[in-house]
Amino acid sequence: MAFEVVMPRLGWTMETGTLIEWQKRDGDSVEPGDVLFTVESDKAVQEIEALERGILHVPPDSPPPGTEVEVGTVLAYLLQPGEPLPRQAQDAASRPPKVAVVPEASAEAPKPDTAAAAAMPSRPTTAISPRARRVARELGVAWESLTGSGRTGRIVERDVRRAFELARADETSRPPLREPEERDSLIPSSLPTPQFTRKATHEPVPAVTLTAGVDATELMRIRDQFGEAMGSPTSIRLACRDLLIKLSGLALQEHRTVNSVWQDGRILAAHDVNIAIEIGTKAGVVTPVIRDVPSTSILSLADQVSELTAKALLGQLEPADLQGGTFTIADLGEYGVDAFTPIIHWPQSAALGLGRITEKAVVRNGQIVPRYHMVLSLTFDHRVVDGGPAARFLDSVCGYVEKPSLWLVR
Amino acid sequence: MREMTFTDAAREGLAEEMAQNPGIFVMGEGVGTRGGNFNTTVGLYDLYGPKRLRDTPICERGFTGLCTGAAMVGARPVVDFMFIDFELDAIGELFNQTSRIQYMSSGRLQMPILVRGSIGIFGSAGPHHSGNYYPLFMHVPGFRVVVPTTPADAKGLIKTALRSTDPVIFLEHKGLLFSKGPVPEGELLVPFGKASITREGTDVTVVAVALMVQKTLEAAKQLEQEGVSCEVIDPRTLAPLDVDTIRDSVHKTGRLLIVDEDWGPCGIGAEIAARIVDEAFDDLDAPIGRLNGAFAPTPYSPSLTAGMVPNAQTIAQAVRDLLAE
Repeated sequence: MAFEVVMPRLGWTMETGTLIEWQKRDGDSVEPGDVLFTVESDKAVQEIEALERGILHVPPDSPPPGTEVEVGTVLAYLLQPGEPLPRQAQDAASRPPKVAVVPEASAEAPKPDTAAAAAMPSRPTTAISPRARRVARELGVAWESLTGSGRTGRIVERDVRRAFELARADETSRPPLREPEERDSLIPSSLPTPQFTRKATHEPVPAVTLTAGVDATELMRIRDQFGEAMGSPTSIRLACRDLLIKLSGLALQEHRTVNSVWQDGRILAAHDVNIAIEIGTKAGVVTPVIRDVPSTSILSLADQVSELTAKALLGQLEPADLQGGTFTIADLGEYGVDAFTPIIHWPQSAALGLGRITEKAVVRNGQIVPRYHMVLSLTFDHRVVDGGPAARFLDSVCGYVEKPSLWLVR
Repeated sequence: MREMTFTDAAREGLAEEMAQNPGIFVMGEGVGTRGGNFNTTVGLYDLYGPKRLRDTPICERGFTGLCTGAAMVGARPVVDFMFIDFELDAIGELFNQTSRIQYMSSGRLQMPILVRGSIGIFGSAGPHHSGNYYPLFMHVPGFRVVVPTTPADAKGLIKTALRSTDPVIFLEHKGLLFSKGPVPEGELLVPFGKASITREGTDVTVVAVALMVQKTLEAAKQLEQEGVSCEVIDPRTLAPLDVDTIRDSVHKTGRLLIVDEDWGPCGIGAEIAARIVDEAFDDLDAPIGRLNGAFAPTPYSPSLTAGMVPNAQTIAQAVRDLLAE
């Protein structure tokens, strides 16, 4: 039978991907595991392997390399010798290729078009049978990235079981298995829950920003001590950011609603604190993730930050580097910015902006003394976090920044 | 084990109960010396005479009301309609009186009445003699609706019906009346509300009613050659309906097809589908399939009729389609 080669979903929030280059040509024989093509998503490039055996047929209307297309778009077919193209592919041949929809246009509901649905199995909301969903939950398979074999592209039980068996048989090409989520707690929400993926991503988020000035003198002192201990103090900004990542991670443990993510239309207060850091590159801003910040040592954290920054600048981040963030830290201090509104990266619900650190004349105990000062900006999704809890979180961070050694020895 | 036809087995059950319970009498057109249009009472007139085998004129509503009254005062009547289509002339009595008496008397009166008749599309019987109508009775509170498919079940279920204190609608498909099967000697009682798994399988659950059980078993044999394993369930009684057995099977297979010769709208398939969606939503790997007879009155023409009812080929195709969902 003919197998569809589709734009895969490489990350949970991935909706479109750019076909970079075919590694096999039309007419080539393909074995499972052969690299078929490369895809760029979230600014990382990944090789995509064939899952089935067959002869590659790239239809004339297949999106040309360089095109950004929706996840699930059929790019080619793997046919058996002498096998004709599936009928829906022939029907679709007269239609223009599906290119990614710009966010503004996506607000319009997709028009029901059964022929198009057959040609494009996985629409933004992937269909899955109730049983397949249950089995995926039992086996811990993340079904969002699977391609359904049901008549309408629906993911059915056999697809989930096949993915599970593949993962067991070959640990290296494991499809994403989801970690158990018992430790995460569900926040009851009376709010209308957003539709999964595209719609929610681009929906206006009721974002609120709080700013607070904080005395950073002790933070600078710690940074200097670390710099000396590590040999050559590299970048002053980097070290301060590392400390702020760590301190924010500790504060998030105490304020778990700020560490919430949307999942399947629900709000989960995530147990793990995974902080995404914004890094500006030529290709735009990327947000690699530092995992489990509270139990990561400062030294290891600083190492990871510099490694991820280097990878980001070289364009070598992998999709896994970009996934799983529960909170974002953006740092514009080096650009001389005092305060700003950081962007919330869906499905997260809050982000912290770091302003520049400056020396200021401050009155302390009746004396005018020089102190380091900075502004922290917390932007949060008001559907998830109320102003009070957000302010208490920001106050905690400020407290930690003013007396960092109390927290960093933990 | 001895083999008997469906009709002979059901009649044996009736005869055994009549021998034990002098309150049982049969009323209907041609049930006396003629022995019933479908041989339902052959030989019984010789044993029990006209007092317990009472021929009637063509007046369905009249003798149904008469039997309802007899049941109220302690007798155990059997109303033999020949064709269940003629029961439509007695619907007013059956729905408004027979099914209601126990509720309206707060249970002080019982309604031990057996209403029997042939159902189904068979033998060019045409639009007036081919009805199924079980959904009508399932819809009304109070009735037990029994649709046996094997000779042994016909005997076991009619005997259970003749000991029930509720009104029982006992429906015999014309295409099954002369089919033979093993019937054990001695006492045989089949409980209401217990479906029979007539074939075990793992890939798909097919619930079939009446003659469709046989057709589905033929289809299952074909499909076995293709590597498809069908589990076939015969509900045996539609009210009460054994949802548990169907649900357990769907838990195993994930897919459900209901094959019913009767018309689809508001039918047994709709009822089973809704119950399974309620109770086993997370077990379903595909939409629930229904295969029904064409939604039109039954024609006389054998070639037209053949195209209107499910057969082994169309059932097998429906299973293949369901597996591709």
